[in-house]
Amino acid sequence: MPWDVIIFYIIATVSVLAALGVVAARNPVHSAVMLVICFLNVAGIFVMLGAEFLAIVQVIVYTGAILVLVLFVLMLVDPEDLPSFSDSQPLQRYLGAIIGAVLLLEVGAAIITRTQLAPQGQATPANIDAVGGNTQAVGQVLFSDYLLAFEVISLVLTVGILGAIALAMPERLGERIGVRRGTISLSHTRGTDEALPAGPRGETPIHIDPDRPRPHEDAPRRVILVTDPDERTTLEGDRRQSTAARQRTTGTSNNE
Amino acid sequence: MSELGVEHFLFLSAALFIIGMMGLLTRRNLLVIFMCVELMLTAVNISLVAFGWETNTLNGQAFAIFSISIAAAEAAVGLAIIVALSRRIRTVDVADIHELKD
Amino acid sequence: MDQPIWITFIVAFVIMNVLLISMAYATWFERKVLAAFQDRRGPTRTGWHGLGQPLADAVKLLGKEDLIPAGADKIVFRFAPVIVFVTAILSAAVIPFGGTIELFGREINLYITDLNVGALFILAVGSAGVYGIILGAWSSANRYSLLGGLRSAAQVVSYEIVLGLSLVGIFILTGSLSLKSIMERQAETISLGPIDLPNWFILSQPLAFILFIVAAVAETNRVPFDLPEAETELVAGFHTEYSGFRFSLYFLGEYINMIVVSLFASTLFLGGPNGPGSDTYWGLGLVWLFLKALIFMFFYVWLRATIPRFRFDQLMGVAWKVLLPLTLANILVTGFIRLIANGEVF
Repeated sequence: MPWDVIIFYIIATVSVLAALGVVAARNPVHSAVMLVICFLNVAGIFVMLGAEFLAIVQVIVYTGAILVLVLFVLMLVDPEDLPSFSDSQPLQRYLGAIIGAVLLLEVGAAIITRTQLAPQGQATPANIDAVGGNTQAVGQVLFSDYLLAFEVISLVLTVGILGAIALAMPERLGERIGVRRGTISLSHTRGTDEALPAGPRGETPIHIDPDRPRPHEDAPRRVILVTDPDERTTLEGDRRQSTAARQRTTGTSNNE
Repeated sequence: MSELGVEHFLFLSAALFIIGMMGLLTRRNLLVIFMCVELMLTAVNISLVAFGWETNTLNGQAFAIFSISIAAAEAAVGLAIIVALSRRIRTVDVADIHELKD
Repeated sequence: MDQPIWITFIVAFVIMNVLLISMAYATWFERKVLAAFQDRRGPTRTGWHGLGQPLADAVKLLGKEDLIPAGADKIVFRFAPVIVFVTAILSAAVIPFGGTIELFGREINLYITDLNVGALFILAVGSAGVYGIILGAWSSANRYSLLGGLRSAAQVVSYEIVLGLSLVGIFILTGSLSLKSIMERQAETISLGPIDLPNWFILSQPLAFILFIVAAVAETNRVPFDLPEAETELVAGFHTEYSGFRFSLYFLGEYINMIVVSLFASTLFLGGPNGPGSDTYWGLGLVWLFLKALIFMFFYVWLRATIPRFRFDQLMGVAWKVLLPLTLANILVTGFIRLIANGEVF
């Protein structure tokens, strides 16, 4: 077998296995890591297809920006809010597998039996080298044939940014100043650890309940989305309403 | 198939697309579903670039660049929705998000 | 131009080892310069002027116990430092250390590869390097680490945009993303009346240079942008739980990143190996490149000795409200100048 085929099979195997890992991993962070591996391999596939610029764009945009943001959000979301892996409906699981298998057969049959070929274009490797390389060639196509689409894309991205800001902004503007309800303060560790001093109201010494639930394994991953930092920190008197409310559902109570 | 042809890439693309689709159908975590959508978009990009490679055109690559830009916009809005959801109704389980249905 | 692949392997081997050795002496350099800033003497006990200090450090780090916290995600915890190290080394693959030279009767390229998208390659690899920090932080099962990882994610995504867009001016002027063509372009001279100036992009793109330096300091997590590891508030942030060999991988990665960014900045803005006499003697070009990179390394240490750490909201505010509009303005102005120079408008 020629070298390019061997390399293709290596890359393809790794990317398919990584894609399976995305679907099958129990921990969503593991899914994200698998997706990173898969996308890096897809960038390799793009290089094999002579699309170097696209490969780099794939790495910068997908792995460098989108998946970093996904991991960011994964760490922001309280793991108790995440659905557990096991309780997905079995019906959905079997149906998904069957539909997938059927679709794979259909698409496979379509690929093998396809007969129509598009007319050959001008972008042969020799022509691409003549204009200076893949980047220059793609640039010329983008800014001549697809200029309008390019402008529309920039509009779409602007609207996307505005929409994201509007969605993720706290409900009332006043809340951003002051207590920071519902936003994440990356600049202050107060409110992320129950043992830390309580801030403005915290003239009382730290009180640690001897029989409080000891979070261990999943502890660091469930603390970040804090609606009110002062609720998390322990004060004599009004203690930990949010954790108390959560414990009420499990039956144990910490209130005096 | 001992010579590298467009079929290789099309099969890879189909495999990735269908794996992504199965994840989309079976998983309940909104973030994993989001990742599966990204996987499907990438799988389609492979097909586009492979067709362009076969016919010596650059249209496939141009389409793929547009598709990546759309994916970036989709990521921004999608993740903002997930953050807003987890803040308001404290869940990212698709089975629990049914406010519009009721 | 084309050379047998084994020569490329030898060049890559040499470059990698030079990087590792210079990384060791970068720590020595930083200590000495920092000591001078603070009116101390720095390491003096190990060898002449403390030159054996990096070696002693290495022995100390490798001899330490390798701890893995009980609640840690073990696979990710082991894997994360390697990402930082590998991506840092990988960036050096596209940096040109000179043109093609004759040695032992063979033509040898003084670079590993000349990618058509070389400058973007460094950005892409750098953005992949942040996974080492985020995943290491997440897998440590430590709140301070997690906060450090979150900060790092937000910081790198923001400053990556500034870093990339600040280079667009250069790409417009050069018409290429290849670092070798950028370097060759700067070998030309421009004459302003009686004076001849080298065509270095620091002269034609001064704003881009400043923006690039600011963003590069943020990308390498150095003071004043070292919020992911802020010792005073986050207890070293993402690598709190790391010790011994794994910590030294993070450490190596950070310093190699500094060196690579210094080389990258010298190539982009200060003409790379171009300098007096570098056309005739290639060794002189290497010396010039080394000295230029040393300026940036000194600048890093200077910043560390002088400027206090930013607050997190200030950090994000600077990126999005100040640096990003400035980069966009720079692109606009550069584009217009290029159009006017081409005679396509007016």
